[in-house]
Amino acid sequence: MGWSPHFRRKRDPGRAHEAALEREIEFHIEELTQANIAQGMTPEEARRWAVVEFGGREQVKQTVREVHVSAFFEALRSNLRAAARFLRKSPTFSLTVILTLALGIGANSAVFSAIDAVVLRPLPFPKGDELIAIYQHDSKGRDANRFVAPTRLEEWNRLNSTFQGISGYYTDDLSEISGPLPEKVTEALVAPRFLQVLGISPELGRDFVPEEERFGGPDAVLISYGFWQRRFHGDPAALGKKLHVEKSSFSIVGIMPASFVFPSRDIDLFAPSPIDAPYAQRRDETWFTVIGRLKPGVTVKQALADLSTVQSQLGKQFPKPDAELTVETLPLKEVIVGGIRNSLWLLYGSVTLLLLIACLNIAALMLARMADREHEISIRFSLGASRSAIMAQLLTEVFVLALAGSLVGLAAAAGAAHGFHLLAKTLPRAEEIELNWRVATYSLLSAVLTTLVCGLFPALRGTRRGLARSLAQGGRTQVSTRNPVQWLLVGVQVALAVTLLVGAGLLLRSFQELGRVFAGFDPSHVLTLQISGSWGETTDMKAVVQRVDRTLDGLRSLPGVEAASTAAMLPGVSALYQVEFKIDGKMNTDRKILADSRYVSAGYFDAMRIPVLRGETCRQGSATSDVVVNRSFANLYLNDTPAIGHALAAAAYNDFQPNGQIRGIVGDAREEGLNMPPVPTVYSCFSAPTPFPNYLIRTQGDPLQMAESVRRRIHELEPGRSVYAIMPLQQHLADAFSENRLRTILLTLFATTAVSLACIGLYGTLSYLGRLRQREVGVRLALGALRSQIAAGFVFQGLRVAAIGCAAGLAMGLGLSHFLASMLYGVSALDPITYAGVVLLILLVAALASLAPAVRVAWVDPNRILREE
Amino acid sequence: MAPLEKSDLLQGTLDLLILKIVALAPVHGYGISQRIRQISADVLQVQQGSLYPALHRLEKRGWLEAGWGESENGRLAKFYRLSAKGRKQLAAEEQNWNRLSNAVAQILQTVQ
Repeated sequence: MGWSPHFRRKRDPGRAHEAALEREIEFHIEELTQANIAQGMTPEEARRWAVVEFGGREQVKQTVREVHVSAFFEALRSNLRAAARFLRKSPTFSLTVILTLALGIGANSAVFSAIDAVVLRPLPFPKGDELIAIYQHDSKGRDANRFVAPTRLEEWNRLNSTFQGISGYYTDDLSEISGPLPEKVTEALVAPRFLQVLGISPELGRDFVPEEERFGGPDAVLISYGFWQRRFHGDPAALGKKLHVEKSSFSIVGIMPASFVFPSRDIDLFAPSPIDAPYAQRRDETWFTVIGRLKPGVTVKQALADLSTVQSQLGKQFPKPDAELTVETLPLKEVIVGGIRNSLWLLYGSVTLLLLIACLNIAALMLARMADREHEISIRFSLGASRSAIMAQLLTEVFVLALAGSLVGLAAAAGAAHGFHLLAKTLPRAEEIELNWRVATYSLLSAVLTTLVCGLFPALRGTRRGLARSLAQGGRTQVSTRNPVQWLLVGVQVALAVTLLVGAGLLLRSFQELGRVFAGFDPSHVLTLQISGSWGETTDMKAVVQRVDRTLDGLRSLPGVEAASTAAMLPGVSALYQVEFKIDGKMNTDRKILADSRYVSAGYFDAMRIPVLRGETCRQGSATSDVVVNRSFANLYLNDTPAIGHALAAAAYNDFQPNGQIRGIVGDAREEGLNMPPVPTVYSCFSAPTPFPNYLIRTQGDPLQMAESVRRRIHELEPGRSVYAIMPLQQHLADAFSENRLRTILLTLFATTAVSLACIGLYGTLSYLGRLRQREVGVRLALGALRSQIAAGFVFQGLRVAAIGCAAGLAMGLGLSHFLASMLYGVSALDPITYAGVVLLILLVAALASLAPAVRVAWVDPNRILREE
Repeated sequence: MAPLEKSDLLQGTLDLLILKIVALAPVHGYGISQRIRQISADVLQVQQGSLYPALHRLEKRGWLEAGWGESENGRLAKFYRLSAKGRKQLAAEEQNWNRLSNAVAQILQTVQ
């Protein structure tokens, strides 16, 4: 019995069916009642007898229901049993298919679990899609700083009509000094309404109360779940305890849930940033990263229009600086995952191609087997089985395999979810990746689709009525040896593999180029670290500079240290802070003087080995008005005059950019990231641009071996401060490209697998055709044909298909390569070397894959073959 | 003569009776059970627990077609009608039955 077509056609949706059955039975009982009344019973009596006479009503309904379901399940069960029997008989075939699909579905499900958690699902906040990030933007483009002043944040929150609330945060790296050694803690300083906007409440304890958010109010903190576990081992008694951070002490009022890792998973403490503090009133402060929660039904566009109106009103009220500021909005999710999305979709596309190749591979395998099963199928036809029944049987076989494959694949995906967690530094929201019912459903769905792709075509071909005739021909089968379908499948596999290979090749080449870049500075033998400090110290900048300079002196006197310096940003780690300058008080009218603005201490150019071309560099203890420019800056903006001695200032008033005098010119360095060519750069001599600058220490030997003595020296100098992020500069540079590296490794892995699968497909198809043509080869050998000629014929056949597939794959690769363009460095998306390499590689492996079956068939013993006939 | 118990009906006989009755005119389940009783003069009584599953089974095999219509007293009832396929089936089963009952009668008469 099969999935009989009339069963599917006549089957009502369950509920309607049930109601119809009920009506049918009710009618019967009514008729019986009428008959009883006609015999003289009272209506009640008549009804009662009718019900008794009808008998067990529920039982009747149940039996009728069984009639409808049993047909389907009986067919399914018998198909499953037959499939299991068949697959047991051919374990090698089954295992091959299961493993191939486990690989294909597993890789696909694993990447899907990442895409689902990172890109598709809303942020882990209630109604996370209502959350957006808001920035201010200097419409004159003079200041790249997008952080918002406390007063403006409050005005936006008060005057808008599209937000439920607006809040913000910034972070500090501080020292907590209750323990024996100062411990570095990261604190998020939050504007009022922070947790309300995010829609989160503390797991234990409470949110801040208004007094705590006021200047001079009680000092309260919330602690993160991670800090709670680390410091208090999850003891609820932590509530109410005091933490001693820098010079103040804070009471713990609440503990955040484990899932709350905003704004980053490094946050230990949350403390209010009092908006009414006297130091928070300037309109040109740049403090907060602003987040807002939209009112239900409001679009991001409407919100932007609303806030822009508010800001232009503020511009009239406070022309300086508000008139030049505009508002920018971005969904918060976009801020968090926008950077990684393309990489994930690229990987997803790749694993999907891989799965497709695996399916085609299996389809070809099934097709070959179908020829072997002609006899069996024609017998079933002649026994009266319908075509749909036989196809259902064949598809069930594939489905059983696909299901097994998808289960093994699901186990692999579970392992991968664990692997993703280790990538937390590279991958935002990595901790949300898990094996859940969505991934399981996806995997199951893949199994169903796989069944159709792998099985439908072979099943259709295998059950063509014409084949039934072969019963009459006995065991001798006659299959066309040209087999265009088989070759089509192989060709498509090669084409898809080539597409993947082109992508992987381009990424590999680009990675290779990145390794060859001349950075302009020497990152080897440099130890980096940070020392805790607080933004609160900035009220006395002189003291901060003295402290940092003293620490630097202490480090320089350590044996094994060649040079020590500080910098606001690490060299070679992607960051660009572009500012417009004026030279000698003049702005350039035809071209803006734009340059990357960096802050470095004395000794920076020694520590980084950036050559000094002219003049001198920063001197310790000198006024903060010295600046050094790089060669690009001098060439571009001061081409006709000697650069040294010019006055340089920010075009717009900028807190961080004091007026200065150019003291020297240094060589160009890839400060903004190894993948970006050097840009005009202005170095301001300022050892403490923030209270926690990066220290860069050039060591004679392995930088990590100096770490301990450096740490001890700093503890002597600054016993109340903690040292953190101790690592070699080269590690930072490697981390900056970890996403790039991961993407390249994975894509290369997928491409290699794809090529292997395509080769197996080629090998299998040629072997199969060789078997079919054994008789012909035997006859030709007997007639004196050369074995080498016959073998060459087979290899040529394989190579021709590979070449056609390769051409198609290159065309697809060319078409898709522009998606990669933004991820490439130093190679064009049309890089001829990559394309030529791919062609060579494919033809080489195709020749190898064809050789073995060709030789095997050409070296048969013609006597044996002809005797068998 | 006492009515025959359900189990006394030969397997497949009920199907044949239903097909035969439906062949006369479209009829609902109640009508079928009444007719079997009347025509067999109360010898055969069909339990509803067998009748309805049988009707649905025959419908699903495509031998009967079903549709909703008005009964004799103007109420909505589910009517069954013989399909072309069912007509063939009925002919085949009738023939089978005749052969079988003839054979059984032959044996009963001969072996006395």
